[in-house]
Parts: sequence; C-alpha cells; structure tokens
Amino acid sequence: MKIKLRLNMAQRIIIVAAVVILLGFGTDIVRLFGLQVINGDKYAAKAESQQLLDTEVKAKRGTIYDCDKNVLAKSATVWDVAIDPKNITDKNRDTLVNGLCKIFDYDDEERAKLTEKTKQESRYALVEEKVENDVKDEISEFVSENSFGNIISLTQTTKRYYPYNSFASSVLGFTGSDEQGLAGIESYYNDELTGTNGRIITSKDANSNKLPEDYETSIEATDGNSLVLTINQTIQYYLEKDLSQTLTEYDCKGAYGIVMDCNTGAILAMSSMPDYDLNNPYKIAYKKTRSKIKSIKNKEEAQQKESEAIQNQWRNFTVSDVYVPGSVYKVFVASAALEENVINENFTYTCGGSIQVEDRKMNCHYHPGHGTENLTQGLMNSCNPYFITVGQKLGSHNYFKYFEAFGFTEKTGIDLPGEGSSIYLKESDFTTVGLASASFGQTNSLTPIQVCTAISAIANGGTVMKPYVVSEIIDSNGNTVSKTTPTKVRQAISSETSEKVCKMMQAVVDGGTGSNAYVAGYSVGGKTGTSTKLGESEEGEKDKYIVSFAGIAPADDPQIAVLIIVDEPNQDLGGGALCAPIAANVIEKAMTELNIEPRYTKEELAERSIKTPNVIGVQVDTAKNTITSNGLKYKIVGYGSKVVRQSPSASQTIPSGGTIVLYTEKSDKQMVEVPDFAGLSISEANSLAAQKNINIAISGNDLTSGSVVAYSQSDEKGSRVEAGSVITVKFKNNASVLD
Amino acid sequence: MSEEQTRQRVRKSNVSKSGLFVTGGIDIPFFTIVIALLTIGLVMLFSASYAYSYNKTGNSYNYFLKQMVFAVVGIIVMFAVSKLNYKLLKVINVPLLIVTILLLMLVLVYHTNVGDFKRWIPLGPFTFQPSDVAKFTIIVTLASYISKYYSQMKNPKYGILYPLGVIVVFCGLIYLEHHLSCTILMFAIGAVMMFVGGTNIGLFVVGAGALAGIIATVVFFPKVLMNYAGERIVAWLDKDYEPLGARWQTNNSLYAIGSGGLFGTGLGNSKQKYLYVSEPHNDFIFSIVCEELGFIGAALIIVLFALLIWRGAVIATRCSDKFASLIVMGIMAQVGIQVVLNIMVVTDTIPNTGIALPFFSYGGTALLMLLFEMGVVLAISRKSNVKKV
Repeated sequence: MKIKLRLNMAQRIIIVAAVVILLGFGTDIVRLFGLQVINGDKYAAKAESQQLLDTEVKAKRGTIYDCDKNVLAKSATVWDVAIDPKNITDKNRDTLVNGLCKIFDYDDEERAKLTEKTKQESRYALVEEKVENDVKDEISEFVSENSFGNIISLTQTTKRYYPYNSFASSVLGFTGSDEQGLAGIESYYNDELTGTNGRIITSKDANSNKLPEDYETSIEATDGNSLVLTINQTIQYYLEKDLSQTLTEYDCKGAYGIVMDCNTGAILAMSSMPDYDLNNPYKIAYKKTRSKIKSIKNKEEAQQKESEAIQNQWRNFTVSDVYVPGSVYKVFVASAALEENVINENFTYTCGGSIQVEDRKMNCHYHPGHGTENLTQGLMNSCNPYFITVGQKLGSHNYFKYFEAFGFTEKTGIDLPGEGSSIYLKESDFTTVGLASASFGQTNSLTPIQVCTAISAIANGGTVMKPYVVSEIIDSNGNTVSKTTPTKVRQAISSETSEKVCKMMQAVVDGGTGSNAYVAGYSVGGKTGTSTKLGESEEGEKDKYIVSFAGIAPADDPQIAVLIIVDEPNQDLGGGALCAPIAANVIEKAMTELNIEPRYTKEELAERSIKTPNVIGVQVDTAKNTITSNGLKYKIVGYGSKVVRQSPSASQTIPSGGTIVLYTEKSDKQMVEVPDFAGLSISEANSLAAQKNINIAISGNDLTSGSVVAYSQSDEKGSRVEAGSVITVKFKNNASVLD
Repeated sequence: MSEEQTRQRVRKSNVSKSGLFVTGGIDIPFFTIVIALLTIGLVMLFSASYAYSYNKTGNSYNYFLKQMVFAVVGIIVMFAVSKLNYKLLKVINVPLLIVTILLLMLVLVYHTNVGDFKRWIPLGPFTFQPSDVAKFTIIVTLASYISKYYSQMKNPKYGILYPLGVIVVFCGLIYLEHHLSCTILMFAIGAVMMFVGGTNIGLFVVGAGALAGIIATVVFFPKVLMNYAGERIVAWLDKDYEPLGARWQTNNSLYAIGSGGLFGTGLGNSKQKYLYVSEPHNDFIFSIVCEELGFIGAALIIVLFALLIWRGAVIATRCSDKFASLIVMGIMAQVGIQVVLNIMVVTDTIPNTGIALPFFSYGGTALLMLLFEMGVVLAISRKSNVKKV
C-alpha cells in the first residue's frame, strides 16, 4: 500500500502537536469534566463516607425524683479508659503502665494483665470501664504530662446510680448495661427517660486518626426526661422498715404494702419484700433465701433456684401477683348490700359458729359463735356466717355487679410494668356455695393494687381512681412536659354508702379485729383478712396463710388507703396481729407527712396531759414538793441547793408518774441507754423505764387486754438519751383472730 | 534553502565551526511556561505530600524539601544547558548510546530489590533509573539517524527497518526491567519521531491497526502480560475488583477527583491525601490537584501543558536544522505523552500503570532529567538557530 500523501516536516510536527493536544489532552479534559462536574457528587459522597468519623454522644438518661424532688435514680457521666497498643513503644511502656497502675491501684496480677494489653496487635484495648470523674481527671493530667494523647483515650459514657440502694426497688426497677430499663418505672417509662443520642462527625485519615482540621459537625444529644414520682420518701421508708422487720421476724415468704392517696389514686408508698439493691440487682438480698440456696447440694438445682430467687426479688408483688383477699373483701360485700339496699345497717343475724349453705356446713373462725350482730358488729367480728347471709341476700348478680364496679375484673392501669390480671368466677359460674365463700373473700384472686384501689374508692366517697406513680414528667431543662391529672374510672358506690362503710371500718379498729391499727390522735378505719392458701401446703405441712390489713385514715375524712399483706408467716397470726401494727406505724408517719393535725380523745389527752412544772432556780426541797404534787417523780443530780437545770424542761407534756431529773450543779447531762421494750407488757415496760430514769409514753389501742405487748419504740434500743427524756412505746394486742 | 542544501549543511557542520556556546535570546514564552509548571508542580507536591510525608517520615516537609533541592539544581542545569550548542548532542550520541545500552543491561543484573522490578541501580543513598536516560538517548539517537538519512526515509529499509530496530532494542531492554509503562512510552516516542522524520504514513495506519489488535488481545486475555500488569488490567475492567487491594489506589483517586467538583476544596484542603490516595505525591498527585483546585484548576494546568507542547512545536518548526526539530519534538512527545497517560491513569481511563506527571510527581532524577531536556529545548530556541526565512 502506498499512500500518496506527502507532508513536510513542519506539517508533521503540527500534526503530532495537534494530535497530542486535541486527542490526548482533549480526552483528559472531557474525562475530568465527567468525573468532577457531572459525577462529582457521587464520588464525593463515597469519599465522605470513608473519611467521616461518626461518634455517638450518649444522651443522659432522665432522673427519677420522689414527690419532694429527692433523687431516687440518676445517671452520672463516667468514662471508659482505653489504650492504643500500636502507639506504645518499648520506651514509653513502663511510664504508661506505672502511671495507670498507680491511678487504678492495681495489684501485680492486674498489672501483668495491663502490660499484656499494651503489647496487643491492635489499635484498641479497653483498660477500665465506667470510671468516675475524679479518676478521669487524674488520667487527663497523666496524659498531658507525658503526651500520651495518641495512646490513652477516654470515652464518655453514663452510669445509673441509685443513692438509696434498695429504697423503693420494686417501684423504681433498674437498668441494664446499656442503661435500658429492665424493671419498674425504669422499664415502663424507658422511652421518656432515654432521650435521643447525639453525634459528632469529624474527619479521619485512612488509619482512622482524626484529621487536624477544624472540620467538625455535631448534633447535640437530647437528654431524657425526668420523672417526679408520687412516692413520699418518709412514708416509703417506714413502710419498708416495718415490712422488712416483719419479713425477717416471722420468716415470711414475702411482705407487701401499698399506701395510696385515696382521693387521687397517687401511690405514696409501695413495697414488695424481699427487695433488692438497685445498684446490685443480681445479688440475692434476702438472707433466708441465700442460706436456703446454699444448703442445696445439687449444683444445677441451686443455680436454677438462684436465678428464680433473683427474678422473684425484682417482682413487684403488689402489682404483678394475685392473692386471695379473704375477710378484707367483706367491706365490699357490705358496700354492695347497702348500696343495693338489700339490708340496712341494723340488719341483724345470730352467729352460732357455723351456717348451713345448701349441703355444706360452713364454719365461722370463732367456733362458739358471735351471737347476735348488726352489720357493724359483723364487720368488727369479721363474722363469716353474717356475711354469707348478706351475700345470699345480695345474690350472685349484684355480687358480680359490684365486683365489676370496684374494678376487680380489669387491670387498674397503673403506670408500672407487668400488671397481673385477677382470677375470678364469672357471674354465670356462681353456685350458691360459691357465692357463700365469695362473700367472705375466698374464691377470687385479686392483685393488691386492685384491692387498694377499691378500698380507696370506699374511702373517697365511692369513686374508683386510676392509680399512678408518676406525677410529673419534666424535660432536661426543668420544664414540665406533662402532669398527671387524677383519672376517675367510675363511681362504684354512693358517697352515703361510702361514709357508712368508713364508719364501720373505724369501728373495726376502735374495737374489732383491727385494733392494732390504732394511732393516737387519728381515727383509723380498717379491715383485717386472712386466707388459707388452699392446695399450696404439702401433705403433713400445716396450712399456709396470707394475711392482710386494709386501712383508711383519717376515717372521718379519709386521705389515704393502706394495704399491708404478709405472705406465709411462720406463726398462725392474722392480719390484725401482723399487718395492722405496720399499718398503724405507716399511717402515723403519713399523717404527719400530709400535715394532718392529730386530734386526741379525752383519754389520750389525759395520758399525756401532765405538763412539767418549771423548777429552775427553785430550792431543791421546794422543787421536790412541786413535782410530787403534780403526780410526777424526781431524781436529783449533784449536791447544790438550787435547781440549775431540769429534764424534761418546763411545759413538756409527759405521762403521769414520769420522772423529772433535777440538776443542782452545772454538770454534764446525764445520759442513759435506751432499753429494749419489745415484747414487754405495759407494767414491765413502766418499771424498766423507771429503773433507767426515762419516761415512756404508752401508745396503742385496746390496752385493757392482758395480752398486750410492746412492739415499737420511738428511740432505738441502745441509743443514748438524756435522763428524763420521753420515749413513746407502742403496744399491740396479739390475741387477734384468723378471720 | 532546499532540503538537499540543508542536509549538506548539516553533514558539514561540526561543533568547532559553530562554537561551544550559542548566542541569541531563548524563547521567552516556552521558558515562562516551564517556570509556571515547575512552580505549580512544587506547590502541589508540597500540599499533596504533606500528610503522607508526616506519616512516613515524621516530617511534613521531607519530600517537598528534597524535591526543592533537585528543582534548584535542575534550574541551574537548565540554564547551563540552554547556553550550550545543541550540536554537542550529535557528538556525544555514540558514547551516550553505548553507555545507555550498557546501563540498561547492567540494571538487569544489578538492581534494587523492589518486588519483581529491575528498574533502579543503587547508588549509595540514591537510586538511578537508566530508563530516565534512555528516553533522552533514544530521542538523540533517532534524531541523529533521521536527520542523517532524511532523504531516504521513504525507503522502508531506512525509514522503517533501522529506526524500528533501534526502538525494539530499547523497548526490549526496558521491558525486561518489568517496566511496561516506560516500554510503551519509549515506543510512543520512537513512533512520533519516525512520523515526524517522514516515515511512510501507511506504516502508521497499519501500526494503528496492529495496536488496536494488541489492545483487544490484552483486554480480553490479560494473562498474556506479566503478572502485575495483567492484574492491573483486570482491576481496570472490573470496577468492583478488590476495593481494598488492587483498586484501592484507583478508587481513592476517583473519590479525590470527584470531591474536587468544579472549583475544588481549596489549596491544602484535600482530605483524600490523608493516606487514602496511596503515595499522593507520586504518580497520583494529579488526583489531589483535582480535589484541591477543582475541574477549573485541573483544566488550566492541562492547558498549560498544551501550551508547552504547542510552543515546543512552534520552536521545532522554526529550527534551521532537522536534527534540532527532531530533538525538540522527541522531548515534546515524551512530556506530552506522559501527561496524557498519567491523567488517563488517575482518571481510570486506562489501566493503572506507573507513569509520573512531569513537573509534579516526586522524583529527583526524573525532574533533573526533565529540566535538562527543557534546557536543550531552550538552547535550540535561541535566535541563532532559528531558520532564516
């Protein structure tokens, strides 16, 4: 092939230049235009996705407060400490290890572990998790002193603290390792408490190191909302104290209690014993259970029992479990009968110790029989035949109508997780015998929260309220997000009926089975209950009981409803003996907390009416006379002629027969040790007090009976008080019934 | 002046007649473009190598300072060479050719141990790349030959066989170094010189066809090439091939180029240079240029290169001597083809082969050699060498 084209060199040069420029550079420019201008965004996005370092900033979990804004649960900033072993050289290893060992107070073994970590073939090794701020400061200082910025990293994280450990544990619940709520309020309100995590976006190089530029975008974290609970710390404290004391004293399976504002449904206190340490939820807190598990030989079985016990201590029995309320239910039968006008308060029945219902003979717990009783007396005696009779008059339809009206067929809707459902006979399933046993509270199983809510309805004039634990949700800046307004569920009974039943309940405490619930200065109403746990005892074992007391106070203008339940005590004691005294203590504290002034009866006032005279500056002999003439005793300290100080001081109210200590010289206060009054009779307690030169004020109802014993005192035994001080000792009557 | 007369004049001419030094001014536009490219190249090298240098040596200025030293020495060399009579090249051609061939053979047996490559002769703390010299040697050799047998270039024996023989010897030796990109470049330079030298155009038509055939073979059967080269072709064809391995460099180059957009992220603001683009100071420096200066900056630099080539071509056409024209066009071809291929590599237009970007890429001897060649062009551009019209 011969091409005829003839070109001179200059032409060929131009052709070469043109080809290189137009074809070569032209292609390059077109290609760049495509990559940069047309598809630039696509590649830029890919570049960004590998360059950006997205760090999560944890939102702080909200705080949980009690009703007075005391902190019950709080998240604090803590730090995870990690090292980058790749940046550690043999030169700086020793300095690093020495420094960290000193900060963390490591022993030789831990030191060896840390040294191992510094030699890892990785870029990240966690040294310590969740260290507190002061330790973090120490580390920061250590880092800047030695320029360890590229070796030691501190990552901010949070940790949940419960300042009062086991306090209100069944209500509060706890959180998991990632601060997710696992039980109680923490779980139910998890979404509110959690907040939204933020992000910090920075650039990194291909080795994941931060770039030096100030290129940083941050999306702030929104901290979780805080909760204000209806829980009152004082009431909760005394409820827990008494429940836990009873739990250990009577070796019970459990002890539960609810204190509710009966007008709003707000839970003032709630406890399920055994409880647990919220800061250490996986440790079994109840000694009895621990030793029981220890005694199990089979390892597997022991392990299973242990995990069961752990689950169990987290359980909020008052909300999640059901029990047979027993005689407490009689107040609802009475309410229904009065409301339906089936009987009036004067309806009488004569209890002969048993009653025949169809082919069954049903016994009263008092075998000789209560004799002729009206409704109030029937309730005071907790007489089964009386209420069987009322129940039969009421009929199963009306029985069920009020069973429903008081809310026993539905969940209360309390803002706590895992609310249990009641187990009950439907109206169509009632037989005459079934109705008879249901009339004194057997047959149906209810949750404690249902019972307490229904007792509140009786107390507040007949309205079933929806119980609640959270009164207010506030955001991280303290602004209110929402406030809980009390919710009326329905009117169960009229206010007239309510008033009548409250009065009868007061009679139960004033002179019936609930007399241990007496609180000086306040009218208390209540009803005791005992139910046999049918089918739960093993053969040959004696029956297991669950005993309870439901109370209201003040009975003439109810503000609170209390339900105390003791599960499987080791003695055959009823709710009046075990639960009513707890209720009394809790009610007394609650009344003070709620600023309800005591109104003492004449007798109560007489008990306290002696005012101490002022004898300071008076000649000793004259002082002696004044004191004796006031019906009091004296004790002289020192050898002076005049009284320089007295204890108790002037114008104090002390019981008659009390002692006044007179100091005749300027000397130190005479201190005495408070003795243990528990289990003593009134006279024994009196003589012990006199012996110790202290005064006791005797508290308790029904103190005329012979079987009255002291169970509580205002100053702990072993504490030291000034001679002459007044200590209140509470007495209870143990001769109660298993109704 | 007819071609015959010119040839006779060239034949007669010798150094002693024209003197060792030349007079007359250099070509100012060409000189300006060279200085502009060198300056921009150094600035961009500083920016692109900053993070890599710190990571590698603990000193961000390490690569930049070393390159600076070579640039300063290179400029001195350029000025010195520009003062010399280019005809000296004709005199030293034969020794240069012998030394170059010996070096190309030496490197095959005495070389640094970098993978499978036999490209560098160790020289104390430095390394010396004979192929850098070979590029210039082939230019001088072919220019010398063609100018001597210019009238016979239409004869296949003189116009095709002999020059092709020279090209094959060079390309063969360099191919044995496992230096495919340089082999291709060498071949391209040779082809350009033959074309300018008057070889029958029919050969280039046939050659283009053959080239297309070779490309097709290589694309469809990458295994026929050396291992490393074959894999690079696979990585070029399959865009999802080993994103963390064979395609890492190319992908990150594309991310950098794309991130630049129209206006760029600004000088010094590349993020891809933070170890994403591997060796951002070297063959892939242009991707960082694209990221920081954007399409506009990148296009302007390409235009500068185009102006350089164009001005070189103008100088070549004005030469009174075919030898000079051929030397200039050989150098222009070398620079132009390197730029075109380098940008094609960073833009993933062709498979990844190691071709440096003149004036920009890090590499002392390469820069020194380049500035020496620029000095040669400037020497030729002096007025005394310009054809009297």
